[in-house]
Amino acid sequence: MAGMASKKKQKVAPYLFLAPHLLMFLIFFLIPMVYGIYASFTKWDLFSSPRWVGIQNYTTIFADKDSTFYRQFWNGLKNTVVFVIMCVPFQVLLPLIIAILLDKRPKGRNIFQGIFYMPTLFSITSVTLTWLFVFNRSLGLFNHLFGTDINWYGEQPWAWITIVVTTVWWGLGGNLIIYVAALSGIDRSILEAASLDGATGLKKFWNITVPSIKFPLAYTIVVSIVAQFNIYGQPLILTGGGPSESTFVLLMYIRNLAFGTGKSVAGMASAMSTCLGLIIGVVSVVQLVMMRRQED
Amino acid sequence: MKKKTVEDSVEQQAYSPAKSSWIAFGILCVMAFIVLIPLFWIFISSFKVEQEVIQAGGFLYLPKTWTLDNFKSLLSADNKQLPIYFWFVNSIIVSGSQTLLAVLIYSMAAYAYAKLHFKGRDIIFYSVMFLCSFPAITNIIPMYKMMHLFHWLNKPIALIIPGLAGIYNIFLIRQFMMAIPDVILESARIDGANEFRIYRQIVLPSCKPILVAVGLFTFTGSWNDFLWPSIAINNLDRLTLTAGLQLAKGVYGNKVPQMSAIATIAIVPMIILYLFTQKYFVKGISLSSGVKG
Repeated sequence: MAGMASKKKQKVAPYLFLAPHLLMFLIFFLIPMVYGIYASFTKWDLFSSPRWVGIQNYTTIFADKDSTFYRQFWNGLKNTVVFVIMCVPFQVLLPLIIAILLDKRPKGRNIFQGIFYMPTLFSITSVTLTWLFVFNRSLGLFNHLFGTDINWYGEQPWAWITIVVTTVWWGLGGNLIIYVAALSGIDRSILEAASLDGATGLKKFWNITVPSIKFPLAYTIVVSIVAQFNIYGQPLILTGGGPSESTFVLLMYIRNLAFGTGKSVAGMASAMSTCLGLIIGVVSVVQLVMMRRQED
Repeated sequence: MKKKTVEDSVEQQAYSPAKSSWIAFGILCVMAFIVLIPLFWIFISSFKVEQEVIQAGGFLYLPKTWTLDNFKSLLSADNKQLPIYFWFVNSIIVSGSQTLLAVLIYSMAAYAYAKLHFKGRDIIFYSVMFLCSFPAITNIIPMYKMMHLFHWLNKPIALIIPGLAGIYNIFLIRQFMMAIPDVILESARIDGANEFRIYRQIVLPSCKPILVAVGLFTFTGSWNDFLWPSIAINNLDRLTLTAGLQLAKGVYGNKVPQMSAIATIAIVPMIILYLFTQKYFVKGISLSSGVKG
């Protein structure tokens, strides 16, 4: 009898270990997600109960060219994609260059790595407050150091440049550490043998270094893309979405529609966030497949 | 300082051909300087009087008259527009409790996924992984409604509990736990230890590095969360530091010294935390990307 009881306990134990997290996952992830998708097919003001309207929100977003929602969605999506395209190459290349330099084992290697990593830990508000005045027109550091008179937040392409510079500065460290670890894993004897065979720096880099850090490189590109699709705080604080909504990103529109000052159009906002979610989801699935492959 | 340089140069000789490492050193110095300039600038500006900043246009020189007034007026209890004291305490309560709960809940789940055998284990794990890879953006609007129904809006609990739903950190801990040899757990089971004892006395102690890393990720993630607190909290006194400081621009506008002091206040705690925990961050990130650091 006692044996039976302990056997039963053995069977229950795993579920007891899982229960707290699975409960959290169900209540605070799965249910809101399903409800969010459901809400995208409704007219909803957040407080009364949602009214089913079928695919009307989606047809507005995709086809009703006169609607403000159509304009907001496409402008927001365009600006978000523009930002991703401008930002990700720098977020990969700059840390990679720094990692290659650190891999030469210069003096003070750990101190350098520490300096480049540090901004990653700052919050979005402290990062933007730090940079806000660097690019201020009359009081700012940049215009004074270089004698320019650039209207950073009021004109393009300067507004985008401030946002990209701030973001790249903020996120240098995460990818950097991954590259440093990957580079230190390369067998030095291969590189030395290549040098003896007369291979130059660039050739060695393309033929030996890049293939051997292929996986971390791909991983960081995907993670950076996913992260940057969620851009929100930088344009909100730095440019307020301007000039003339040219840095107004999709999350800002979604937030305003659902929680703005006017009457909430949460159904429409849900349709927009479902679309954005699908785009990010596709990229994330690639990431998941990569994580699984690494495990095998 | 002197001693350190000597050690470094010994290490230097042992490692690499000197020339390329000196070129790297030079380039890195320039890059580090550029990265540090904004921090240095807000730091010195926060000790300046406003007159000085306007006249000289915020150049990179040390203040002629050092003043602590910017900090004093910001941190004073009379500062009703930006109650930074409250925000700081709120942030510590929210991030601290979320971190403790996260380490407990995540490590329990990770133990089950890594070391216990039960029906549907891998299916559950990969289904949750798959679903979690969809972004949380879709969830935020219904989550707000849910907090409203729970009467959690404007309370710290709205910032603490929902953040525990993710599985990414469980994946990290699970990876680490899988390296523990089954033989050790098996022999403990034969000695009559139940699963909770094994988890507490064998598994947890041997996972300390990854638990610390996950704790730090959770703490900084929660501390730096911006969108959700600014939606779930409407009451000024109950905001977190990160969400609250976005109001600074509206209050101080173009006052460089005050704004610099605000940025300094926001940044210094993170720098201090980082100085003490750097190696755990580095280890955790290397683990998460699947390369051995």
